[in-house]
Amino acid sequence: MRAALASACGLLGISGAAAAATEIGSAVLGYTEPNRVSAFEAVVDARQIFADGKSINGRFVYDALTGASANGAVPSTGIQTFTRPSGRGSFDTAAGETPLDDTFHDARGAGSLGLTLPWGRMTQWSAGIYGSGEYDYVSMGANSALTRDFHQRNTTLSLRGAYFHDTINPEGGRPVPLAAMRPAGVAPIRMEGDGAKDVTDLGLGLTQVLDRATVVHLNYTYSNVSGYQTDPYKVVSVVDGTTGLPTEHLFEGRPEARHKHVLFSEVARHLGRDVVHFSYRYMGDDWGIASHTFDLKYRWNFRPKQYLQPHVRYYRQGEADFYRRFLVAGEALPQEVTADYRLGDMTTWTGGLKYGRTLSNGHELTMRFEYYAQLGDSSPANAIGALRDLDLFPTVDAFIIQAGYSLGP
Amino acid sequence: MKNRNAAISILLLCLLALGGCANLGVQPWERELLAAPGMQIDPDPIETALNEHIFFSKEASTGGLGTAGGGCGCN
Repeated sequence: MRAALASACGLLGISGAAAAATEIGSAVLGYTEPNRVSAFEAVVDARQIFADGKSINGRFVYDALTGASANGAVPSTGIQTFTRPSGRGSFDTAAGETPLDDTFHDARGAGSLGLTLPWGRMTQWSAGIYGSGEYDYVSMGANSALTRDFHQRNTTLSLRGAYFHDTINPEGGRPVPLAAMRPAGVAPIRMEGDGAKDVTDLGLGLTQVLDRATVVHLNYTYSNVSGYQTDPYKVVSVVDGTTGLPTEHLFEGRPEARHKHVLFSEVARHLGRDVVHFSYRYMGDDWGIASHTFDLKYRWNFRPKQYLQPHVRYYRQGEADFYRRFLVAGEALPQEVTADYRLGDMTTWTGGLKYGRTLSNGHELTMRFEYYAQLGDSSPANAIGALRDLDLFPTVDAFIIQAGYSLGP
Repeated sequence: MKNRNAAISILLLCLLALGGCANLGVQPWERELLAAPGMQIDPDPIETALNEHIFFSKEASTGGLGTAGGGCGCN
C-alpha cells in the first residue's frame, strides 16, 4: 500500500509526498526444449525507497542449464563422431539427426546493486554495478542513467550508459577459428589465453503521456561490442561438392567488432477495465543482421484483483553476412564463418498466458506459461546431394513456466 | 550503415513529433487510469529480465527496454 501511494504520488507529480517503502519481487522459471536444453532460473529483487526519494536496489539471479545444444554441423546419412570440447572424448550422432553436443551444462550466479538519487524535483540520477560468473564465463559491468521530467511530468527523457567487460575461458581452450576439429586424443589447435570482450551501450529514451489512458515510450540504444565474440563450441561442416556428405568440421570464427542499433517503441493503453501493451523493436548491426520484433499483451482484469494476460510475440531476423549452413570442399575458405542457427534466417513465435492475483495482504502472485518456437529453412536452395533430403533447420520448441511473488507492487 | 541511418532518422522523427507537441498530456488530477496496475511501460521488470535472458540465448537480437548486451556467456 505504501509503495502504491508512493507510486501514485510520483505519477501525480506531488513533490515531497514520497513515502518510504520496501518492494521485494521474486520469481522462479523453468525452461525446457524437448530433447535439448533445460534450464532453471530464480530471481530475487529488492528495492528500498526512502522518504527523501532516494532508493537502493539489489538483484540476485541463479540459473542452471543442462542438456544438448546444436553444434552447427550438418546432419548426414551415416553416423558422425565429434570430439568433445575438452578434446578428451567424443560423442556420436545418428544418421539423419542434427548433431547436438550433449555436454552443455552450466550454473550461473549474477548480482547487481543500484542507487537512485533525486536531483531536485524533476531529475533523477541512478548508477549500478553488475557481476556474474559461470563455469567458463565472467562478466563485470557498470551502468548509469539520468532521467528528467518535463511538462508536468507528461514527458520524461532519459540518457543511459552501460559498460560490460566479459572474459571467457572455454572448456578445452579457445579453438583457432577455421581450424579443423581433430579426433579425440589428438592435441587440438588452440589459441593462447582467455577471450575477452567489451560491451558499451548508450541509450536515449522518451516517455510521453498522450492522454488520460495512453502512454508511449521510445528508446534508442547504440551498442558497441569489441573483442572475442566467437562461440568456441560451434563448428561448420565442410561437405563434398557432389555428395553433400561432411568431409571435416571447422571451428567457427566471428568478427571482433559489432555495432548494433536498437530502436524500441511501446504503447500502453487503458481501455477502461483492461490494459493493452504493444511494442515494436528494430535491431540492425554491421554483421548484416536486421530483425523485427512485435509483442502484444492484453491484461484482462476480469475481477478487481485478478487478471489473465494473453501474450503473443513475433520475431524475424535475417542472417549474418558470414552465416553459412555449410562450406563446400575445394572452395576458398572465408575469413569469418558461422553455422550457428541463431545467426541465420529465422522466425520465432511466442504465445502464452499469465494469471495474476493480488492477495488480501496486498502481495501479488503470478503464474505464466509460454510456448516458444524457432523456425527456419529446413531445405535451403543451395543444399547439395544428400543434404537435400535432410532437415537442415529442425524446428526448436520450448516451454516456459514461471511463478512470481511480490511484496509491494 | 543503411540500417543505422534508418534507425537514426526514425528516432529523430519521433523526437521531433513528440517534442513539437508540448500540449500533449494530462493534468495531475487526470492520472487515475495512468496510475492503474499494469499501465507502467514495464509492469513486470523481473519477467522482462527473464525473457531477455531467454531471447538473448536463442536469437541474434538483444535490448529494447534494457541494455543491449553483455552479462552472460549464453550467446
